[in-house]
Amino acid sequence: MFSYAWFIFLVPIIFAPVSAFAGWRRKVYGGIVASLAIAVSFILAVLVYFNISNTRVPIYQSFNWFGNIDAGIYIDHLAIIMALMVSFVSLMIHLFALYYMKDDPRQNIYFGETALFTGGMLGLILSSNLLEFFLFWELVGLCSYLLVGFWFFKPNAASAAKKAFIVTRVGDLLFIIGLAILYSLLTSINVSSPLSIPYLISNAPAIAKEIGAQNLTIIGLLFLGGAAGKSAQFPLHVWIPDAMEGPTTVSALIHAATMVTAGVYLIARVLPLYSNATYIAPDAVLFVGAFTAMFAGTLGIVMNDLKRILAYSTISQIGYMMASLGMVSVIGDSVIGFSIYHLVVHAVFKALLFMTAGAILIALMELRDVRRMGGLWKKMPVTVTLMFIGSITLAAIPPTAAYFSKDTIIDAAYMYYIRSGANIYSVLPWIFLVIGALMTSLYTFRMFYLVALGKPRSKLAEEAKDPPIIALIPLMALAFLSLTLGIVQYPFYNFIHPNTIHVSVPLIVKYTPLTMVVIGILVIAGVYGTGMWKKMDLSKNIAYRILRAKYYLDYLFTRVIAERAILPLSSGFARMERGFSRDIEATGSGAMGFGSMLRRIQNGIVEYYFVFLIIGIAVIMLILEITGGL
Amino acid sequence: MFIIAIFLLLILFAILSFAIKESSWKIATLESLLILILTMVYGILRFTGYNGGFMSSYSYAIDTSIGISFTVGVSALSMALLFLSAVIMFIAIFVSGREKFDRSFYGLMLTTELGLYGLLISRNFLFFYVFWEAIIIPVFMLISIYGGAGKEKAALKFFVYTQIGSVFLLLSILTLFSFYGTANHVFTLNMSKLLDSSFIIKYISEPQPFWTDFLLFGFFFSFLVKMPSFPLHSWLPDAYTSAPYPVSIVLAGAISLMGGYGFFAVLLPIAPVIGSGIAWAIIILGIFSLVYFALVAMFQTDMKRMMAYASAASMGFISISLGIGILSTGYIAYLAVSGGIFQILAHGLIMGLVFSSLYIIKNTSGSQSNLTLSGLFREMPIISTFFLAGIMASLGLPGLAGFIAEASIVLASYQVIGYIIFFIIFGMIITASYHVWTVQKSLNGPYNENLGKLKDGTMMEIAVLSFLFIIILILGIYPSLFYHMILVYVKGVF
Repeated sequence: MFSYAWFIFLVPIIFAPVSAFAGWRRKVYGGIVASLAIAVSFILAVLVYFNISNTRVPIYQSFNWFGNIDAGIYIDHLAIIMALMVSFVSLMIHLFALYYMKDDPRQNIYFGETALFTGGMLGLILSSNLLEFFLFWELVGLCSYLLVGFWFFKPNAASAAKKAFIVTRVGDLLFIIGLAILYSLLTSINVSSPLSIPYLISNAPAIAKEIGAQNLTIIGLLFLGGAAGKSAQFPLHVWIPDAMEGPTTVSALIHAATMVTAGVYLIARVLPLYSNATYIAPDAVLFVGAFTAMFAGTLGIVMNDLKRILAYSTISQIGYMMASLGMVSVIGDSVIGFSIYHLVVHAVFKALLFMTAGAILIALMELRDVRRMGGLWKKMPVTVTLMFIGSITLAAIPPTAAYFSKDTIIDAAYMYYIRSGANIYSVLPWIFLVIGALMTSLYTFRMFYLVALGKPRSKLAEEAKDPPIIALIPLMALAFLSLTLGIVQYPFYNFIHPNTIHVSVPLIVKYTPLTMVVIGILVIAGVYGTGMWKKMDLSKNIAYRILRAKYYLDYLFTRVIAERAILPLSSGFARMERGFSRDIEATGSGAMGFGSMLRRIQNGIVEYYFVFLIIGIAVIMLILEITGGL
Repeated sequence: MFIIAIFLLLILFAILSFAIKESSWKIATLESLLILILTMVYGILRFTGYNGGFMSSYSYAIDTSIGISFTVGVSALSMALLFLSAVIMFIAIFVSGREKFDRSFYGLMLTTELGLYGLLISRNFLFFYVFWEAIIIPVFMLISIYGGAGKEKAALKFFVYTQIGSVFLLLSILTLFSFYGTANHVFTLNMSKLLDSSFIIKYISEPQPFWTDFLLFGFFFSFLVKMPSFPLHSWLPDAYTSAPYPVSIVLAGAISLMGGYGFFAVLLPIAPVIGSGIAWAIIILGIFSLVYFALVAMFQTDMKRMMAYASAASMGFISISLGIGILSTGYIAYLAVSGGIFQILAHGLIMGLVFSSLYIIKNTSGSQSNLTLSGLFREMPIISTFFLAGIMASLGLPGLAGFIAEASIVLASYQVIGYIIFFIIFGMIITASYHVWTVQKSLNGPYNENLGKLKDGTMMEIAVLSFLFIIILILGIYPSLFYHMILVYVKGVF
């Protein structure tokens, strides 16, 4: 029977072109149609949620797609939570975008693309086959590309869109190599549908036995490559800060709440493959995640662009989710709950933060430099209060939801350290994550101080005004959730994974992250509250310069790899190709020259013919003489 | 009989187009549309519930003593490619309405289509060869008469290259013919009889292995020239660039299918004869073509030339697929070969979309260089979107036809080539890079005001391009439409 759950992702996809056309004459219709379609998705997801939580039986339907690959939907507890989160947050962002994009002449296209994106994201979540998953994975990538370049006439946006596409494409193709290895190995042992997700997650131990844990590790690492591209983990994170050139609602939807968490979802989806691989695969996830959490945090501190601070913060928070998944080999499957809980909480507060940033940018006419803001709490009280709620959630101050979600991950890292033999190697993740917490506090409150407190530092900031309250209602809903989601912590964990272990660590360890947050606040109060930051000249400071250059990674990718390796290779081949073509032509004209020489012989003078005839006969006679034919 | 009726109708249409002076564009468009519709009806009638083998088998003996007969048979492979040729010809003839071409242009175009149909339905090597040759002549004339700068040289190059290929094809056919004749004392040119690996192994490979190599060399050479594959490709950029756009569409969409068709119609049935050394060579050649053409394309500023190289690069997948099909067994082999056949179809359709939207851009703005074009989204949003869609399909975006083919081949390839797969992926990354790069330069960015005010495509053009795009989309989302019958065919051949 055809389940209505299919419509969760089909409705937004079908209504994407409809909303683009509906808004052809009256622009506002586009947004309304798109929002309604997503509201329908959300309602359907709620219905499926009740259906599943009562029966605890996953919905699984599939049909043959091509060859021995099928496609369909597989909805278990993990998938439905993600679908609820994505449809809800997307709905909120769409409602805010009705206000944010109201003056844009191409807003119908915008809403068509965001609706398509939402449908693609929901399809990704509900996929029952990894190749189908990959299809939606690329569809959301395409939407991200289109939406980052939505203001295509801005050279920065065009360039950022290209960069986002290519960098994530590198990750995607690593992912597809992983799929190829998995497919080849499983098909050769006669598995009927080798890439089906329910098959993979329920038979992971048998698969590991059949194809070898070693191969599974390689597959896991390649999947991690794909996840790192999509979820902007080190070293493929370079595209996200540039992607901030798109409309702010796009950043909120795609580059904060939903698409960038697809990589985390991928690894969570196939986590049994990781727990049955050798320890290298999950540890790689753990270390990449934990390192990124710290690394991106350090970059967040030196950015002056409001949206880029938030972008690095997103990278860093996704690092926490990844790190949590990587602990699976030691802590067990409970880590999915930890990770997805943080994912949901993060989606809520980061969407909130981005949308408040959007409201501020509208009021400040797209001025994004935080050094020229200041004093906005007085000018835009409602917006900045919402931002304050988002900020304390980001910094994980109790009793906000992130305090519960993030500190559990940090504590779990400590448990990982204890349980895996308490050596110097296994303590690193915990250290990274704790430093990450300090960084989070530093960049969050630096940002908040520069935006909201002090005196306005530009004419624009002095004139700023709150947007109409009605536009801020979606933000208020998200702010409410940021403050209250902490209540459902353990029910949530148990919903995702029954009998989740209780993370318990010594009290001193438990309060370490919070201490870090307080230290961060004090440092910011000391540096910024006293006005010291205006007198500091960091331009000579070597550490500051490295940070400003983003650890020279962009330099490495664009200037070294792209411009010094690929482009010369390309120009060399192109030159070779031209030379090659010329040589061929030279051969051709050589042949023609020979032809025209022959033509000269045929000149119509009988004597010549006679001479040639004689010579010819003589040559034949000579040959026959030598070979003894005569 | 249905397919022969279509074929005869094509002969009639080709003659008509040469004859009728007035509104030749309209008539030719309607004719090609009618052929397309008839082909689709034929496909639906004969190929629903297809279970292998040849449909519409028919044979008319001409000279029994040397086995010449007009033998017809349509496999799923031919059917997919008949559909492709019909679509491409319709698109090419339709968009040519932008320029004023005379009646002989349309006559030649329909003659090309006639040649393609003849090639795809013939099951007799004589007719196979005749149509193979017959396609070259109208294309040569189309390039040399209607082409742009350097048309004579380009046409000559095209002609000489493909002629050399044809000579080898003929030699291989004759070799098969004479060996079969001596062995069985019956002369035949029937493809199904000659392309029988047990016959070749028994009467050629075992007594005289040299002639097997000779035979395979001839086939490979002529098919690789048509594909084109490195290093036999030097006719390609000039021919694509100098040809008028409608002919470029035909070259990229329909003429390129000949090499692939040869691969799967002639070489696949005799796959057991092909040694693993040759199969490896083919795979390496395919991968090298993919990477090499992608890197060369990256450095082009003329978008038509760039897409010509992109077209050649994606044909590399077909070589890879045949090689993998030979070297593996079971489902892996089926998937690889089906992917290769699907790639011919997908590639043709995608190139049709790319070149026809590029044609409209060039015709409106007067430029096809990504140095002068900039911000076209502003002035020509719809055609730019079609171009973008073509670019995305060409780089293998999932949801569009090219992905199904590339995914099949890549998924199957690991079994055979192991970590060499990274080179394929490297090629695909380069492909993605320059495709997106050229979009950034031509469609995005601030509009180049020197181009003046441009008009977007007409309603008819938008409708036709939408039709093409929807085919690509449907094949990407629901590939079974063709994939299933191709898979059945491949299972039957192996």
